[in-house]
Amino acid sequence: MSIDMSQFYQVFFDETSEHLASMEALLLDLDVDNPSLEDLNAIFRAAHSIKGGSGTFGFTDMTGVTHVLESLLDRLRKEELPLRAEMVDAFLAAGDTLRAQLEHHQGGPEADAGEVEEICARLNQLAAGNAVAAPTPAPAVAVAAPVRRARMECDLPTAIADDPVKLANLLDGLAEIAALDVQLRPDASNPHLSLVLTTQKRDDELQELMSFYLEPDEITLSDADAVQEVYGFFDDAPGLEAVVPEIDDSFGFFEDVPGLPAAPGEASYGFFEDVPGLPAWTAPDVITDEEEAGVYGLYEDAPGKREHLTNRNIAPCDSPAAIEGQGYGIFVDAPGGLGLFDNAPGSQQFTRTSTPAATEKDPTQPPTPGRRLSDGPAVETAKAGRRDNDRTVSAANAETSIRVSVEKVDQLINLVGELVITQAMLAEAASYLDPIQAEKLLAGIELLARNTRDMQESVMSIRMLPMSMVFSRFPRVVRDLAGKLSKQVEMKTIGENTELDKGLIEKISDPLTHLVRNSLDHGIETPEKRVAAGKSPKGTLTLKASHQGGNIVIEVIDDGAGLNRARILSKAKERGLPVHDAMSDHDVWQLIFAPGFSTADVVTDVSGRGVGMDVVKRNIEGMGGRVELESSTGHGTRTVIRLPLTLAILDGMSVGVGGETFIVPITSVVESLQPSLDAIRTLAGDSRMVHIRGEYLPFVSLADAFNLPGVEDVTRGIIVVVEVEDGKAALFVDELLGQHQVVIKSLEENYRRVPGVSGATIMGDGRVALILDVTAVARMGLTGSGSHAERAA
Amino acid sequence: MEHNESGTSNSGEFLTFTLGAEEYGIDILKVQEIRGYDAVTRIANAPAFIKGVINLRGVIVPIIDLRIKFRLGEPTYDQFTVVIILNIGKRVMGAVVDGVSDVIQLSSDDLHPSPEFGSILDTRYILGLGTVENRMIIVMDIEKLMTSQEMSLVEAAAA
Repeated sequence: MSIDMSQFYQVFFDETSEHLASMEALLLDLDVDNPSLEDLNAIFRAAHSIKGGSGTFGFTDMTGVTHVLESLLDRLRKEELPLRAEMVDAFLAAGDTLRAQLEHHQGGPEADAGEVEEICARLNQLAAGNAVAAPTPAPAVAVAAPVRRARMECDLPTAIADDPVKLANLLDGLAEIAALDVQLRPDASNPHLSLVLTTQKRDDELQELMSFYLEPDEITLSDADAVQEVYGFFDDAPGLEAVVPEIDDSFGFFEDVPGLPAAPGEASYGFFEDVPGLPAWTAPDVITDEEEAGVYGLYEDAPGKREHLTNRNIAPCDSPAAIEGQGYGIFVDAPGGLGLFDNAPGSQQFTRTSTPAATEKDPTQPPTPGRRLSDGPAVETAKAGRRDNDRTVSAANAETSIRVSVEKVDQLINLVGELVITQAMLAEAASYLDPIQAEKLLAGIELLARNTRDMQESVMSIRMLPMSMVFSRFPRVVRDLAGKLSKQVEMKTIGENTELDKGLIEKISDPLTHLVRNSLDHGIETPEKRVAAGKSPKGTLTLKASHQGGNIVIEVIDDGAGLNRARILSKAKERGLPVHDAMSDHDVWQLIFAPGFSTADVVTDVSGRGVGMDVVKRNIEGMGGRVELESSTGHGTRTVIRLPLTLAILDGMSVGVGGETFIVPITSVVESLQPSLDAIRTLAGDSRMVHIRGEYLPFVSLADAFNLPGVEDVTRGIIVVVEVEDGKAALFVDELLGQHQVVIKSLEENYRRVPGVSGATIMGDGRVALILDVTAVARMGLTGSGSHAERAA
Repeated sequence: MEHNESGTSNSGEFLTFTLGAEEYGIDILKVQEIRGYDAVTRIANAPAFIKGVINLRGVIVPIIDLRIKFRLGEPTYDQFTVVIILNIGKRVMGAVVDGVSDVIQLSSDDLHPSPEFGSILDTRYILGLGTVENRMIIVMDIEKLMTSQEMSLVEAAAA
């Protein structure tokens, strides 16, 4: 095929990342002593999908690793091997390796080959651990399900009928939802396809499935039992199996070997060969996914060889005797092998649901040594370009969501931002109209305002992602770290559905990781210490997200030792920080945000270097958020991060200075007040302080900082007390104008960074207002870029 | 219209405008639109020729007064003051000029190299001199000018 696969690479990368993430999440949730089969299957499916995809795209290194991974998983889910903790570790490590390989294919550094080998060896060893699992024939369990058999007749377009690969894809797709019996296989001369499907799907669902190829009315569906043939019955009971230790990779699938060897156990297993002498129907060239009720038979004339093996347990047979002994014995109700496969009395319809989980939960399902048929590389190729049905469960989700590039969403958000501005302009213009004369217009404008607001909210919500996107990575971090530090930690997450802007989600993850690591390293004690302190040996780390007003609050809570006030103070004194013993707890805790501050005695590779909390604080403040710490010695620490909901919109207070409007982010405003003259103290030179309720705050005149002709008389202006990086500052402005939600615009897009300004916005009157970066403004005002320039900092 | 084979930007159509007594031309492909002068939002501590920023249909666009920059003409702002909105690279910016006169066609043959002196504009930013109906037109490399260090419109690479 000459299709350029590279155009689908990104899809593969995205999907694989998702699979890896879900695999990891499932692994972490797995209860080692009592693993849920459903989870094991889900992990297996994820691994299998990665394998399929990587095989299709030619990333053979990944195929190699997943293959080994999958083999072990397969044995686990068949309960041949008990799950052990080291397996979970190995799986996680394999996941990391795969991720590294994936990154390599995306242009990242090459994955460590030694690591890859090591993990493969580790998995193989685990898989080989106790390979002798006696196949215990279990009574077949017929899973009750409304399964029916439908006959499908249609003429395929020649483009498909002509091309064996496309045809195989089509049949493969069908086989994912139904057990197939191809009665008439189309070819170039005769495009007619006739098959019998054993499925739960309804007619319309089948037609929909085929709609990719054919119009619904071109497909004839009928009840197959009415025209059932002798061979038309393919049971698929979970118990049915043939056990064969080994399989040849070349299954001889699509071979047209005339004449079949008498003994089916020989080299060409003969499964899917076109057997002469059976003109009425041919063997399907179909390999279904292992989840599916696939149907494979040895289509030979000789009685006793009409075994129909289910694919999940299929393996080429060593000798017919083995099949008879193993396979037939299962069907206790069947009087004989032959009776099973025709309409003879005693033949039973062994059906299975098409829900993989239902079958796979079947505890009676006997284990099968040997590889599954679908392990063969040929299968992967046949599946090329087709999504396998591993996503039966997620399929419902897939239908209701679409992948859209972030740029498109951002463009939409921008446009709605424009709309909001336009609406504000209209509203402002209309406010001058006579409300009686322009009643209808005003009503319309009001409606527009409401619709715009709703629209803005829903558009913004597109960018919103649940916090679980961030939280989901922590179980792994906690697990690895707790292991490394030999601590016992249980992680809890609360409110992971709280939604946050995508941009913030990306930025919050690093600071959060840091806080989590801190909590584990410094917060939670070793089990011995915990027991000694009368606590449960297992520490608890809680990640919590919630909404509070226009903010999102993210908390990292541990029940560890808490911060050590005395130690922080002594360290601070050592470093010459201005501290005294009577400082409030709050102020003491703030000390750990100082750059380079660390109370750890030993620098570990986890933390203790003292770089971190200051970076955490800076990062969060960069997002327009705040960090607070609460701690109680012996009981734990709580770090609270407050973030605005989005980066695109900001709640701002507009202030006027010298005829210009500036926006002060509400999050940084503490209070605003009218100063009295005696509250202003002049320090050496020009610098001024303002005395507000016992605190002396630096007095920063915006007019001076921005060289604007502002109000000179302090008693005629307003002081806005803002929280800045290192405390508070008093911004002196001419007047307060109001409070708005403003859409943040970039100044840098067409201009450059302006000191003291974090961005711009467009006001209701269409004019541009600058959004203040209060920390920078305070610094500017103090170091004097304005008229107080001569003052030393 | 005759296409010059060289196909470079110094052939084709040019928008001419006046700054004081001089007439300048810029590549019309760099021009997005021409509009009147609106109130700007001043930017603190910016050079005087950067008037500030305006809202151009939701985009924040800096406005540069070329008259102040080159000390030409009278920097008055009324309903006749014209702003040429330029598309330079991926940026949008506005240039205030005395007036927009014409769109002319010039091929590179019509362009004479400019003398080393004689214009207020640094020769680095002059593509050449053209003559149309006995008027001398200074063809400006507006892109080079606007992205130059001295305009301080673009973030300097260092510092």
